[in-house]
Amino acid sequence: MSTTTGDPRPRVRTGPDGVAVLGWRCTGCGYPVAQAVLRCPLCRGPVAESAFSPEGEVWASTCLRVRVPGHTPPYAVAYVVLDDGPRVLVHTPGDRPLPPSTRARVTGTSGTGDLLAVPAGEES
Amino acid sequence: MSAAFVHGVGTSRFGRQPGVGAPSLVQQAVTEALDDAGVDDVRELDAVFAGTVFGAPGTAQRALQLLGITGVPILTFENACATSSTALHEARHAVLSGRFGRVLCLGVETMTLHFSGPITPEETDAEGRAGLALPGVYAMVASRYEHLYGLEPKALAAVSVKNRRHGALNPRAQHGAEVTAEEVLASRMVADPLTLLQCCDISDAATAAVIGGERGVGRDVRIAASALRSGELWDHRSTHPWGYELMAGVAADAWHEAGIGPGDVDVFEVHDAFTIGEITATEALGITEPGGGCDLVLSGHTALGGRQPVNPSGGLLSRGHPLGATGLAQVAEAVWQLRGEAGARQVEGARVAAVETMGGGTAGIDGNGCVVVVLGG
Repeated sequence: MSTTTGDPRPRVRTGPDGVAVLGWRCTGCGYPVAQAVLRCPLCRGPVAESAFSPEGEVWASTCLRVRVPGHTPPYAVAYVVLDDGPRVLVHTPGDRPLPPSTRARVTGTSGTGDLLAVPAGEES
Repeated sequence: MSAAFVHGVGTSRFGRQPGVGAPSLVQQAVTEALDDAGVDDVRELDAVFAGTVFGAPGTAQRALQLLGITGVPILTFENACATSSTALHEARHAVLSGRFGRVLCLGVETMTLHFSGPITPEETDAEGRAGLALPGVYAMVASRYEHLYGLEPKALAAVSVKNRRHGALNPRAQHGAEVTAEEVLASRMVADPLTLLQCCDISDAATAAVIGGERGVGRDVRIAASALRSGELWDHRSTHPWGYELMAGVAADAWHEAGIGPGDVDVFEVHDAFTIGEITATEALGITEPGGGCDLVLSGHTALGGRQPVNPSGGLLSRGHPLGATGLAQVAEAVWQLRGEAGARQVEGARVAAVETMGGGTAGIDGNGCVVVVLGG
């Protein structure tokens, strides 16, 4: 899994089975992490590349309505705790944030590399 | 050394001052602090613990030479918004350990050199790269808080109204105007549910404090405790809003060292960069229980004239938030309050003050750093 671009955001893989969020999982304690690590941040055990479920639950959300370089406001974002996986920051459609506890599904990345998600059950 | 004391404090003007560089701001703050401490000869200083977040390398040395402060060790700290309170925490321990007899603490920031609006998120940070600017970080706090406890917009507005009313009594405040709750809620939405008047402005300013041992001067203010931690991993296992567990842990350390609890404190200066920040801080400090922060501000408990005023200076919302200078600005207000020198915003009979500064923005942890300082007693 290359990190040569230096882009720290989580990445996805799209295959016949759909989208998976890529990351690492500790082979000892099972801790999942979406950022590149050499060892487990919890137990310092070895980690292995992992593909996480694209589905999860919204933990918190907002819509940013200010100018931020590389992003055009307004844009809604949410923390999503992936099922048996890490918590990731995603962009969601429109300017109405998905409420906490909403089920959401990662559908891919934007042209600029942000994770995209929609309410689970909706078409991407 | 059994205790460290604040011998003197000083600040520059707070505000957007693009024509005023760090050397000028530093001279204003340090000159006032040295005069306040009764330090006539800068050779009485053994070290300088400085702090800046966005300043160029050598910012402190470049400014301090103009005051003749040269030759002594000058160390520069960076800990996000908690930068200069970190410098004070470390200076206190340098004095307590006997390493230095007297330390000048300095915070300086010239934010208009770097930004015209919100601080640009850090591109090397996973969430910064994804566009999560700091208003968004705190908006996420509000979202999570609402999910856990409920959050009425009027409570958020009450924080802004209170602190801007306090700031109207502070001649150093960047924004001295009072506002109504209606104006707060009707101002432009920045990051749902935080409107413009719930967000601090960028600021250019410097702040300073002289820290040393006991010298029998009645105006000196004892540092009863100080605590510093960086955030733990904040991830899929976390339930609390960002920063809560870090603030609560640091506060517990500080109360333990001071041998008192939050109920013993007469006046607080806390990190209200955004309104929700004050609500969660008052809970993490233990002034009220988790979920009780809204009722606390709505009841008037934290207003001037209330049982435990919070941010009588106007806080970051009104006084301004020059990141690396903010912690010492909070400490300066606490010192003035404990000496009875706070003028129209004086908390009558204040004997114990507490300062909380929360610094953050790094994805994956519960904050870059948090400092809680207990003064007086």
